[in-house]
Amino acid sequence: MPDQRLIKLKINDRELQVPQGTLVIEATRRIGTEVPSFCYYPGLSLQAACRMCLVEVEKAPKLQTACTLVATDGMVVRTDTEQVRQARKAMLELLLTNHPLDCPVCDKGGECELQDMTYRYGADFSRFVEEKIHRPEEKWSELVYYDAPRCILCFRCVRVCDEGMDVKALGVGLRGANSVIIPNRADHLECEECGMCIDICPVGALTSGTYRYKTRPWEMQYVPTVCAHCSNGCKTTLSVRNHEILRANNRDLSGINKDFLCVKGRFGFDFTTNKERIRQPLLRQGDQLFPVSWEQAAEAAATKLKAAYDSGGKDSIGFIGSNRTSNEENYLLQRLARATFGTNNIDHHRTADYAGLITALGERAADSLLTMEQLYQSKAVLVIGNDPTNQNPLVAWQIRSAIRHFGTRLFLINANEIKLKRKARQFVKIAAGQEPAVLKWLAHEEGQLAPELVEQLVQLKAALEAESDVAIVFGAEVSGAAIAALVAFGSKLPGQTRYMALGDYANSRGASDMGLLPDRLPGYARVDDAKARESFEQLWGCVLSSKPGLTVPQMVEAARSGQLKVLYVVGANPLAHFAKPDSGRGKLDLLVVQDMFLTETAKAADIVLPAASAYEKDGTVTNTSGEIQLLRRAADVMGPRTDCDLLRILSHQLEKQGLGKALPYKTPGELFSEIRKAVPAYNVPLAGLLTGGAEVTRAQVARNGHAPYDVPAGLIRSANDTLFTSGTLSRWCTMMESVPEAHS
Amino acid sequence: MELPPKLSAKFEKLQTSYPAKRSALIPMLMYAQDEFGYISDAMIAEIARRLDLNNVQVEETLAYYSMLHRKPMGKYHVQVCTNVACMLKGGYEILERAKKRLEIGHKETTQDGVFSLEEVECIGACTGAPAMQVNYDFYENLTPLKFDRIIEELDAGKRPQPEPVTSGALHDRNVLETPLISRRWGMKDSHKLDVYVMQGGYKALEKALKEMTPESIIEEVKRSNLRGRGGAGFPAGMKWSFVPKDSPKARYVICNADESEPGTCKDRPLMEMDPHQLIEGMVIAGRAINSHQGFIYIRGEYRYVLDIVDAAIAEAYGAGYLGKNILGTGFDFDLLIHTGAGAYECGEESALMESLEGKRGYPRIKPPFPAVVGLYGGPTIINNVETLSAVPSIIREGGETYANRGTPKNGGTRMLCVSGHVRKPGIYEVPLGMNMKKFIYEVAGGIADGKKLKAVIPGGSSCPLLTADEIDIPMDYDSLAKAGSMLGSGGMVVMDEDTCMVDMGRRIMHFYAHESCGWCIPCREGTTWLRKMLERFHAGLGREEDIDLIAELAKNMLGRTFCPLGDAAAMPTISIMKKWRGEFEDHLKGRCAYKSAGALVGAR
Repeated sequence: MPDQRLIKLKINDRELQVPQGTLVIEATRRIGTEVPSFCYYPGLSLQAACRMCLVEVEKAPKLQTACTLVATDGMVVRTDTEQVRQARKAMLELLLTNHPLDCPVCDKGGECELQDMTYRYGADFSRFVEEKIHRPEEKWSELVYYDAPRCILCFRCVRVCDEGMDVKALGVGLRGANSVIIPNRADHLECEECGMCIDICPVGALTSGTYRYKTRPWEMQYVPTVCAHCSNGCKTTLSVRNHEILRANNRDLSGINKDFLCVKGRFGFDFTTNKERIRQPLLRQGDQLFPVSWEQAAEAAATKLKAAYDSGGKDSIGFIGSNRTSNEENYLLQRLARATFGTNNIDHHRTADYAGLITALGERAADSLLTMEQLYQSKAVLVIGNDPTNQNPLVAWQIRSAIRHFGTRLFLINANEIKLKRKARQFVKIAAGQEPAVLKWLAHEEGQLAPELVEQLVQLKAALEAESDVAIVFGAEVSGAAIAALVAFGSKLPGQTRYMALGDYANSRGASDMGLLPDRLPGYARVDDAKARESFEQLWGCVLSSKPGLTVPQMVEAARSGQLKVLYVVGANPLAHFAKPDSGRGKLDLLVVQDMFLTETAKAADIVLPAASAYEKDGTVTNTSGEIQLLRRAADVMGPRTDCDLLRILSHQLEKQGLGKALPYKTPGELFSEIRKAVPAYNVPLAGLLTGGAEVTRAQVARNGHAPYDVPAGLIRSANDTLFTSGTLSRWCTMMESVPEAHS
Repeated sequence: MELPPKLSAKFEKLQTSYPAKRSALIPMLMYAQDEFGYISDAMIAEIARRLDLNNVQVEETLAYYSMLHRKPMGKYHVQVCTNVACMLKGGYEILERAKKRLEIGHKETTQDGVFSLEEVECIGACTGAPAMQVNYDFYENLTPLKFDRIIEELDAGKRPQPEPVTSGALHDRNVLETPLISRRWGMKDSHKLDVYVMQGGYKALEKALKEMTPESIIEEVKRSNLRGRGGAGFPAGMKWSFVPKDSPKARYVICNADESEPGTCKDRPLMEMDPHQLIEGMVIAGRAINSHQGFIYIRGEYRYVLDIVDAAIAEAYGAGYLGKNILGTGFDFDLLIHTGAGAYECGEESALMESLEGKRGYPRIKPPFPAVVGLYGGPTIINNVETLSAVPSIIREGGETYANRGTPKNGGTRMLCVSGHVRKPGIYEVPLGMNMKKFIYEVAGGIADGKKLKAVIPGGSSCPLLTADEIDIPMDYDSLAKAGSMLGSGGMVVMDEDTCMVDMGRRIMHFYAHESCGWCIPCREGTTWLRKMLERFHAGLGREEDIDLIAELAKNMLGRTFCPLGDAAAMPTISIMKKWRGEFEDHLKGRCAYKSAGALVGAR
């Protein structure tokens, strides 16, 4: 990283100051002067291969590459002389000798860097009359195609695969003008299929199996939103034509992930148009579900819910929310459960103990939770449990980038030899489930551990104590009391210590924050805290129960035993993840499900309401590090409604039946305004959020009265997803499922 | 994969010989290919496993080197050189003969798998042109008849006697020669330790270790005005003094024995006939920069030379001139010889280091220069064979005495290999600064067959060519620069009046296009475009506008490429276009005015 001492240089007669160590190409960008380049790519190693960035430097005998030249005090640079212009023109002429001019049928046409540069700096005629080198196009995987003649050999793809992804699936074959990029399995790829190589390609040499020959770039609209899969909250820009998503990428490098996306973010959008998508409400008649009108379905749901409420009482009904739906929808669902039905039987599939972490940190929470950017800038990282490469790809990317750019030290405690081990200073191998014992030892040097393990932990402790800034990242293996031990250990470290809990799905953190918890109100206030209750009672005009409700496993068990009569499920699949085999829906009188697909739970339902996906709605989501981002509606699918709409419709029908009041919000925006008031952490600056940025929630324990929190073993449960899965949803991602790696 | 025991043992030794495992990659590939004739998928996987690499890392590295093959070659791989020196002496006739005799083309194998044929770039036998290699054996001064006899013997299962030493190295000494580093050439067993020691060998090492400090060694080398003999002519002592004194990383001494500049074949006899002189020079260099590890990077084609040097290294270890506590002084120095696998670019110092680290031979971004960040990231000095071979003499007789053998700023003697149309092609050691005309006419015997001189490549095909009128100059680095050319690597190629300069330009560009590593655009695309255009032009399909275009494209490469290879391709081309433009205009009439060898090939 350039240090902060400033130096002065002159570029095209303009004086400017830049930090020492700044490359000339970066300095020119600061003053809005373009120095063209193909091979230069911020964050990747320097190449100086394309020679497009040649500039004149006073006192230098020949033109210099701005991408490798470090600015020095008093340097005089010119980027606009005749010599420089001539050099650029010559480079482009040379590049085009073997590059086919098949732009009209090339996917990249219209957004091709070579096209743009030729337009701006190139010649308007060609002097090349020799034969071009030709090679047939190669299909490397269902998702990646390579067209060698188009390749300009900038080696961005090779570098991003090696340096960025640590996959090393690409290499360079042959040499000279015959050089080509080669995949790791002779004629095909075996890799993470992230598609980083495709997006980083400045020309149409690497194309996407899902997008190729579909459309022209100018025929699409571009909608920035948040990836619907894991909890890391990568920004993804959806390219949409006629309401259909054709592509996902992040070429403008905006968002917390810059240009990073994994296979799910880049290719996992086609579930939206999957044929199995539910398009109409379904109602059970006997053994089968039949399509019915919206009126019929909504009325049936309200009538049956009212009847069950009247006969079984408020705690005979349970609600299971989603870790994918928006914050607004989650907030709405728990309000419906708590205010309309008066029950705290509301929970979601918990994959990280966010409440436990925030509680253990107490007053320090606001300043001790890591953002993705802070993780990247940490000087040392300790990862306990989890497999970030597979389960949290952005977290793994941030860690790898930190190691590459700043020499960050990585330490691992894990029961498995996860891939990040290759980059780690120290890897402490433990037995599965031993995390709490190890943390207890680290915190208090208590407990019986094997001497070899103790020796390693002593070494680890010494290494961490020597650091000034430690990021601690942990998975579902660490929850409840183990988090308290972890925080106790972290607090003893001499430097700054910050934490990140790793959950599984797109809005796991938001579900927790919004109070999809049987004992916590939005913002983690306890339900038995009268003062906290009172503020929500005033807000919602109702009386809230002080009795903690059932957790998801308890609800599923209560359904089996018959204690629970009604289960209302939104975007979750508890029968697949929590029910015992063959117990099915148990003795439920009524099962209502809002979902996109006929999941195991939806198949067992009495009423199924087709729900819109995250790519078809507006709202906000919160990633695992507590950063809120906007969801923007990109696609439009006939039939389904957003969960927000579904809950509002239901509340109107319930009001008609004499139960509760219709929910007053008309738009997700109105809901978000209320959330900002009710949950202080969500009172984030709007300007950044509305312009596509991520805003950090600053957890405020005092406001909502946190208290020690212990979760029963097994309640926090990771789905242990791979790179190619995200719980139930990925089953319907055809493109992702098409690569063999998804099934290995 | 099950390996033959000998190969397996070789692999195991290689895997532990280097500071980084991957360095063993290219030698392992070469030895594997010697055993099986090519590199199979299974072998790639086996080597990857042994070196903790991905298959693709092995694949991409081997794909870079022209000597490594992914398909089986013949039992006898016939490699005919047609580069400039050989071309002038009938290299293309040999190639045509080979095609007819073996009934196969370039890179093809006979059906019975006995022979395969390849047209190769300069193999370092220029003073014995035309030449070829069969596997690693050199056959020089070929005629079509001699070629036939060699093939017949091979066909009969016999191994024809290869050249005993580089042709042209041994000859009656001319009075103008001042043999210093070549003075032991021709002595019986000059490559052996006892002969070397008897001739005063390793005395300089003793002096350097016992009587001198690292600083005083560097001072002595500075005083000698020794300039790099690889081509660039950078003062050696100054290069050594750039090595930081307080680096925490290990330092290295590398000998660049990747001799492959067309027209150059002096390092080959220096190593085959006097390897200990080089070893001694390297240990002294090691002492000067406080390094304890040296490498000799030798081009893959020189396998028999590698074996000779390897044996000499073993002898030196046995006698205590290498290894721990050398001559009881407490100084340790290890030396390893490492084979390349066919890549001119690896003669560029940073590309050589990449190659030595087991990677594709791509040059590195400079700065930092190798003296600060070199091999394995450590400070490294890298010098040519001839440069390092001069070091013992400098230490023994003193820098000043050595310097006085040449002219001011151009100390010492110079090995010159003169090839092409001279009466006495050969390798001569003369004082730096000798007049070029005098050298050509008095030492090299003048132009053969009573013809007139047309052009001279002064020091390898990267140098701008000189006309007959331009050669009355002293041969030192500065005078050549003043004449618009370079002293280069000492590979002088002389052309008579019947030489077609269009063909010469074509053949030079053919070489650089073949050897361009592909890293940067101007060199990668420029050399290929120029090659295609010159081929077309020479075949009689030129257009008037091509003449200016060729010159302009060459200028577009000049000074803009990543490494000097682009300049090396551009400079001779620019000089040919400027000095012999008339010949290009003649070609527009439809045919080559000369009976040049290249005309046989036509546009390819």
